[in-house]
Amino acid sequence: MPTRHLDLPQGTLDLLILRTLALGPQHGWGISERVQQISSDVLRIQQGSLYPALHRLERKGWIKPRWGTSENNRRAKFYELTKSGRRQLEVEEDAWKKLTAAVAQVLGTA
Amino acid sequence: MLSDLVFRARSLFRQKAVETELDDELRFHFEQQLEKYINSGLTKREALRRVRIDFGGLDQLKEECREARGVHMMENLLQDIRYGLRMLRKSPGFTVVALLTLALGIGANTAIFSVVYGVLLRPLPYQNPAGLMVLQETTPKVGTVGVSYPNFQDWRAQSHMFSKLAAVESVAFNLAGVDPAGADQPENISGAVVSSDFLSMLGVRPVLGRNFDSAQDQAGSASVVLLSYQLWQSHFAGAPNVLGRTVALNGRAFTIIGVLPQDFRWIEKTDVLEPIGLRANDPEFNERGDRGDVVVLGRLAPGVSFAQARAEMKGIAARLEKAYPFSNDQFGVALQPIRDVFVSDLRPSVLVLFGAAVFVLLIACANVANLFLMRGAGRTKEIALRIAVGASRSRIIHQILVESFVLAFLGGLLSLALAFAGIRGLARLLPVDMLSGANVNLSGPVLLFTGAVVVLCTFIFGLAPASQSTRPDVQSELKESGRAMSSSAGQGRMRGALAIAEVSLALILLVGAGLMMKSLYRLLSVDPGFRPDRVLTMNMSLRTAQYAKDPAILNFWQRVLDQVHQLPGVEAAALGTVVPLTGNHSRNDITLEGMALPKPGSFPHPDVHLVSPGYARTLGVPLQRGREFTDADTENAPPVAMINAALARQFFARQDPVGKRFMFGHPSTERAPKWITIVGVAGDTKLYGLANPARLEVYLPFRQGASSEMTLIVKSGIEPAALTSAIRYAIASIDKDQPISDVATMHQLVSNSVSTRRITLILLGVFGALALVLGAIGVYGVLAYSVAQRTHEIGIRMALGARGGDVLRMILAQGARIAGAGVVIGILASFGLTRLMTNLLFSVSPADPATFAAVAIVLVLVALLASYIPARRTLRVDPMIALRHE
Repeated sequence: MPTRHLDLPQGTLDLLILRTLALGPQHGWGISERVQQISSDVLRIQQGSLYPALHRLERKGWIKPRWGTSENNRRAKFYELTKSGRRQLEVEEDAWKKLTAAVAQVLGTA
Repeated sequence: MLSDLVFRARSLFRQKAVETELDDELRFHFEQQLEKYINSGLTKREALRRVRIDFGGLDQLKEECREARGVHMMENLLQDIRYGLRMLRKSPGFTVVALLTLALGIGANTAIFSVVYGVLLRPLPYQNPAGLMVLQETTPKVGTVGVSYPNFQDWRAQSHMFSKLAAVESVAFNLAGVDPAGADQPENISGAVVSSDFLSMLGVRPVLGRNFDSAQDQAGSASVVLLSYQLWQSHFAGAPNVLGRTVALNGRAFTIIGVLPQDFRWIEKTDVLEPIGLRANDPEFNERGDRGDVVVLGRLAPGVSFAQARAEMKGIAARLEKAYPFSNDQFGVALQPIRDVFVSDLRPSVLVLFGAAVFVLLIACANVANLFLMRGAGRTKEIALRIAVGASRSRIIHQILVESFVLAFLGGLLSLALAFAGIRGLARLLPVDMLSGANVNLSGPVLLFTGAVVVLCTFIFGLAPASQSTRPDVQSELKESGRAMSSSAGQGRMRGALAIAEVSLALILLVGAGLMMKSLYRLLSVDPGFRPDRVLTMNMSLRTAQYAKDPAILNFWQRVLDQVHQLPGVEAAALGTVVPLTGNHSRNDITLEGMALPKPGSFPHPDVHLVSPGYARTLGVPLQRGREFTDADTENAPPVAMINAALARQFFARQDPVGKRFMFGHPSTERAPKWITIVGVAGDTKLYGLANPARLEVYLPFRQGASSEMTLIVKSGIEPAALTSAIRYAIASIDKDQPISDVATMHQLVSNSVSTRRITLILLGVFGALALVLGAIGVYGVLAYSVAQRTHEIGIRMALGARGGDVLRMILAQGARIAGAGVVIGILASFGLTRLMTNLLFSVSPADPATFAAVAIVLVLVALLASYIPARRTLRVDPMIALRHE
């Protein structure tokens, strides 16, 4: 396999989930597929961390679940971003950008 | 926060549904992934293998999801509650004692808080009650008095700080004619005559019919009336067609135009409202110097403060004083927020009792904390073990607090039954008119308070054991021998401190109760100026048209006297207008012949009695000089009077007042003075309560004054109440439509006059006794536990030659140390706290040494007794058994 998978840095999973759901409601499998696709197969989310994360985000009220039908006509649990989730996404995106910029800066000068 | 809780609760209570959803969700993922692998060309087996690797441990994944949902905390809580209940079941003795203690403590607080809430806190049923003020006039001679109607009219014209002012006159009516057949008994009801905007100022709307209109403020108003909801129910069975019907008030027909709401309250009991226009032509309403039973209700204009309004009224009163010196000299205006008028003098009693109830609760909590500590000592090993196998300390504190909460909650539930019974008992204890219609019951806010107390208790008695329990050194605890060893010194100290706290709290309560008891004793020992034994009193008001003329009134009273005198069992009978402690009063300025004329506001202002011959003898008022009235002192005889000793002392210091003359009112050039000759001097009587000083009094023969309202007093040879029906029958034979009200023995009147103090004493006494018992149980518990723990040590001491007496003394000394420390702390605290109840005391200092000493002795004795019982147990210790006990 030519692709090299990267382990997700701490705390980025929430950001990825929220960002993915910002495009529209999605079920858990769809989220992991979408992340994998968009990151050109570099990022892979393990089920072992995806579902606990989804339930944690739901408890925090950032996403909310709705049972719907998948593309192949199966019953699936879709998640969508709530208003407070959207706000949280902005906060986390902002923080991420600052972090990466700072890390890049440090790397650049080293 | 709340949504989080709801979410967790949902996860917990809909556990099954949530689990199924989780299964479905994960299966969907599983199958999607499988399909994807198969589509990418893998064999079914290979695909299945890959998916399983991806998923890892399914159960672990589910558990992590559950944890993420926060199910665990709730599960732990449920587990702790179940554990707590199991622990309580396992030690029923502990549970019963703790529950009863808590139920008593919480129940006392709930019951008293229901009074605090009903009297002091519950919003009055008015719109924006904070802006409502009650205004009265004041004079240095009497204090606050009613408002004269012309003054009220001037206030209303001149005031800008009040958006509205209304006059309210308290009156009583003879009610009849409800039953069209005329078969109903006449009765005495209370009511108010009010300005037309009275109700709209309060924000009260009739539930039926309409309010008065402004035309009814003027003379010649139609005879209309509003009924209270209660009267409507009791006399008209709540009939909706009551509007337009008439009732006879004082023999006059009044048309009912409306019904007041059920929760309507006024300062005085109010059965009916009449418009003030009906009184506008009465002479006493147009006489500026006449101050009856009118109070003024005012609503502050928006943004106006109490101080601003008071300043303005002060200015208006000063202007009126200047303009009308004869009627208004030295008269001012008193403003009171309406809540204060309702609460009147109950506030200090209610607050002192609430404080006492809180003390009882603290003692109860200390007791339960002690019980927990003792049991906790037996559990240190269990807890040490749990810590050793990985339970976190916070988890254990959490569990002990939950256990405490379970106990407090059950105690709280039990307390509601006690509080319910307590409130019913209180209701029976309190005179009906004492609360001015305040509702005292287990309402929502009271239950909320009980809930808060339960939570508070949990922390008060739960935290000490919780902090103690997690302190043990795990290693040494586990290393110790299997027997529960003597608990740590720290625990012993804390138990001792709790017992000391209980003793000092009990002392404070008992000192309070002792001071109240002494006050009441002193108050009831005050000479009232009359002999209340075997004297019955009852009121009659002649209000119907047949008594419009004086001869008719006099004729009625004379026939009453004649008839009652003939009844068997009657030793003496008389009539009087201002019988002591009945709340009736009538005061007037007088001018003594030859006195230097003072300012108009400084004339002597005695209470004026109209009495029949034999009044002083019937009531047992001593005659000091001269004579009583006789049947010869009629309307045609020369005017005569008796005065009381206070008046004689003040104005006839070294002369004999008999034969001197005085007149009512101030000398005037327009009319000739009507001199009245003093024929006798009577002793002072306590008209306004036993605690008040004697006032000036003047007595006139009833035939020379003709009052339509009088109190009949009957001295009997037998139990006076037994005469009631015979007297009623005799009066009905004179006028069958004449109601009789306020039947009471003189002893009841004396007792009612001290009822606030008496009830405060009873409740403080109950709380004090409760505190004493709980405190004694506390001391007993600590020592009994200590003796049990020290059996081994005692065995060694005895084996080494100590005698039983030595050991007994050792334990008693421990009890004495607790009692001594508790008493000293309690006395110091009492010195500070009893000052708060100065208002309730009568001729007793809040630091009364005798009371303090007596209470301290009682407490020390009880504490020693409580220590003696466990101490005696040491006498039975057999050293051999005690030592083998290892």
